[in-house]
Amino acid sequence: MTSPTATHFAPRPGLGRTWERGALWLFRVATYFIVLCGAFVFGQIFWRGAPTVFTAHAPFVNVAFFTEAPESLHVFAYQGEKMELGDRAFNAFKAAHADAGAIKDDSYVYSAGGIFPCIVGTMLLVAGSMGIALFLGVSSAIYLNEYARDSAFVRFIRLAILNLAGVPSIVFGLFGFGMFVIFFGWNVSLLAGWFTLAFMVLPVVITASEESLKAVPKGFREGSLALGATKWQTIRKNVLPYALPGILTSSILGIARVAGETAPIMFTAAYVVRDKLPWEGLEKWTDFFFQGVMALPYHIYVVSSKIPQNEYTARVQYGTAFVFLLIVALIASTSIVLRSRLRNRYKW
Amino acid sequence: MASTRIPPSPETQADATPAATSAGFLANKARFRFFGLTLDGCIKAFFGGNAVVAVLVLTLITIFLFKEGGGFFAQNRANLQIYRQAGLEYVDFIRAQTTGHTALTHELSDLRLRQFHRLTEAGKSLAEANAALAGFDEFANQFGDAIIPLRGLLSDLTETATALKSKFATTENLKIARQQLLAAGKTAEADKIVISEVNFDAELKPLLGTLPAYQAASAETAAKITAALTVKPALPTPELQARLEQFKMLAAAYVADFPAVEKNLRAWDYRQPVPFFRSITSFIFGRDWIAQSSWQEWYGILPLFVGSLMVSFVALLFAVPLGIGAAIYINQLASPAEQRIVKPCIEFISAIPSVVLGFFGVIFLGENLRLLSQQSWLAWVPGFPFSERLNILTAGCLLALIAVPTIFTLAEDSLNNVPRAFKEASFALGASRLQTIIKVIVPASLSGIISAVLLGLGRVIGETMVVLLCAGNRIAIPDFTAGLAVITQPVHTMTGLIAQEMGEVPVGSIGRHALFMIGLVLFFLSLLINWLAQKIVRRYRIAID
Repeated sequence: MTSPTATHFAPRPGLGRTWERGALWLFRVATYFIVLCGAFVFGQIFWRGAPTVFTAHAPFVNVAFFTEAPESLHVFAYQGEKMELGDRAFNAFKAAHADAGAIKDDSYVYSAGGIFPCIVGTMLLVAGSMGIALFLGVSSAIYLNEYARDSAFVRFIRLAILNLAGVPSIVFGLFGFGMFVIFFGWNVSLLAGWFTLAFMVLPVVITASEESLKAVPKGFREGSLALGATKWQTIRKNVLPYALPGILTSSILGIARVAGETAPIMFTAAYVVRDKLPWEGLEKWTDFFFQGVMALPYHIYVVSSKIPQNEYTARVQYGTAFVFLLIVALIASTSIVLRSRLRNRYKW
Repeated sequence: MASTRIPPSPETQADATPAATSAGFLANKARFRFFGLTLDGCIKAFFGGNAVVAVLVLTLITIFLFKEGGGFFAQNRANLQIYRQAGLEYVDFIRAQTTGHTALTHELSDLRLRQFHRLTEAGKSLAEANAALAGFDEFANQFGDAIIPLRGLLSDLTETATALKSKFATTENLKIARQQLLAAGKTAEADKIVISEVNFDAELKPLLGTLPAYQAASAETAAKITAALTVKPALPTPELQARLEQFKMLAAAYVADFPAVEKNLRAWDYRQPVPFFRSITSFIFGRDWIAQSSWQEWYGILPLFVGSLMVSFVALLFAVPLGIGAAIYINQLASPAEQRIVKPCIEFISAIPSVVLGFFGVIFLGENLRLLSQQSWLAWVPGFPFSERLNILTAGCLLALIAVPTIFTLAEDSLNNVPRAFKEASFALGASRLQTIIKVIVPASLSGIISAVLLGLGRVIGETMVVLLCAGNRIAIPDFTAGLAVITQPVHTMTGLIAQEMGEVPVGSIGRHALFMIGLVLFFLSLLINWLAQKIVRRYRIAID
């Protein structure tokens, strides 16, 4: 039995109280439902993709999947045995066995080999576009935060950045296609993809850079200026070094966005399939920039919509999605971890 | 002489410096100048120039979308003009008549199917059921055959009109080829191209000459239908009988419409020009998007727009309660440890690339939702069971997962901005936690929450890969008469169509310009949503001071 003083301030049980508790639980359920949904998508792809990516024996990773180009898979029966071979292995097999000419095989496109060209293409796209975006973005952030005073012009620029952030990625794709591919005549190329992606991610970089610049205390600048340094000297020696880690970590989020987007590169940079790797067969060095590449997200789109679904294709589908998700998730979590680290590092 | 041109050596400069300082301020010293700017000024101009890039990109997007999409309306008008000139419009009047008949026969076969089910459920064998419906079948066949004379005429006319249209297209192509040759300076070769202008007046004569034949066919059809309608097949239940009566009324109305069609045909004149606004209205309100057709191409954005809206609506239906609920929970109710763990988790969801979600929908969610819908205990849900694996619901569920992190993060931010004092005051007045949240915290941050929802909408409506892979890609306005079940129908969306068709349409074709027009619509839609979100935040922000 509780004493009367203890129950005095305790909430009285009743209909209202039960109702409230139920409502509060509803909020909790909503939260964990979201987390569960996200975890389920991750889990499903990891679970189904892991058998393709990992192997049961050393080196435990399916090396071929990471180092080879996509091939067609040939499934056939030979002397009562069921064989599954990729293009090259199948041709070698036919050459080795004289009686193999009459084999009837089922072939599945993209279902053998690996995704090496796609990984390379995605990395090239990310590196180039982030280079452009960081250069443009950090410079504009420096201008907006260090040089500009509040004027109609600056407000206009800020408005433009805000609106640019809301433009759908497919519209960036259309724009890149209209401007770089058609108008500049670059065709489907790395360069067109770089600029399209860079412009898409520009608002993210600018906002992130501005925030990091703002976090540097005013005193740093004032002290430097008071010692007779010019504005540029102040920025270079006393502001940027402290803002740079923040700029870079926040921009990693931009990398995740660039790596994950498909729509902007569909008609500006991505090829469905390309035999050569980007550094192979170049006549002159500028050709490097004017070639299309294979990219992971586009490859996933192709294998999930353009080829039939069965047990043979599912392996490469889930495997590619797994690798891609892993890469993007790693980038994103790096950003999150680094950002929380950074928050603890500088305290002023 | 030569010595005067030699620039002062560093030593002399250094010697001169003390003199300069003593003579005046250091600031007056001659500095590096470029276009009249000092080094610092140059650096500032450089950074400022880069800052303008955002404005520049927005302008360029607008310019290029207009440049590529701008030609659309003129082309579409030409498209509509030839539709009229080649007599396709004329033929389509008659086609509409036969389409109306087809719809009526569909109704009849649906009626028969229901009766058949009724009979077999009552324990009759298939043969018995068929025998019982013999009277009805005779009636249905009679009605169905009535259209044959009209249909025969229609197929002849279709051929004539198509031939005329392709003849016109060939002439136009020749003209273009000649122009190109002339531009290239090859006059002799250009002269070799013989262009015979299409004489529509003469070419349309045979088409228009079929009017008496049409009148005869139409009269025959009308007579046959009227004759068929006098038959009174008996139906097993009063409910179905009522539907049959309704059908008869519809059929009578259909026949009564024949004179109007004939009047249209008589009044039709291929010389009538197509006004320019028709090209615009047919884009905005057109209910068909048929690209690359042998008959006639139609570019109406309505089915795509409705598709995009429906998918976004379903997505927000899930995402808004979940996102805002989670934001309230994390911000107001969760313990700090819970906050630290759950918040990054939800934000992490936004890192899942949309193409992976689309892939997940194609390979897993679509099929499993379909299987789930076929469970008998879920039959009460509107639209269940459905047979299409990819539909509005599948795409909506996945888009909800995309919208949730956006809505959650922004809503949580705005909840966070509500001053502590509000909450404390509410508690001090004896309000419970739920009361405080609903009556104080949420209203105080409502503007932020609404703009969070709007930005979520912007995110969802511009999303491409998920809808391209999971929305079903059928270009048609969903059938809203199905009520809530409409969410289980496949649709096509604006973003999805661009992504799907961009690679297939040839340069300079009307199809490509039409896709850029959709891009333009999307672009301005996103600007509008963004603008609204900002406006709401600014206008209704509670002044807290």
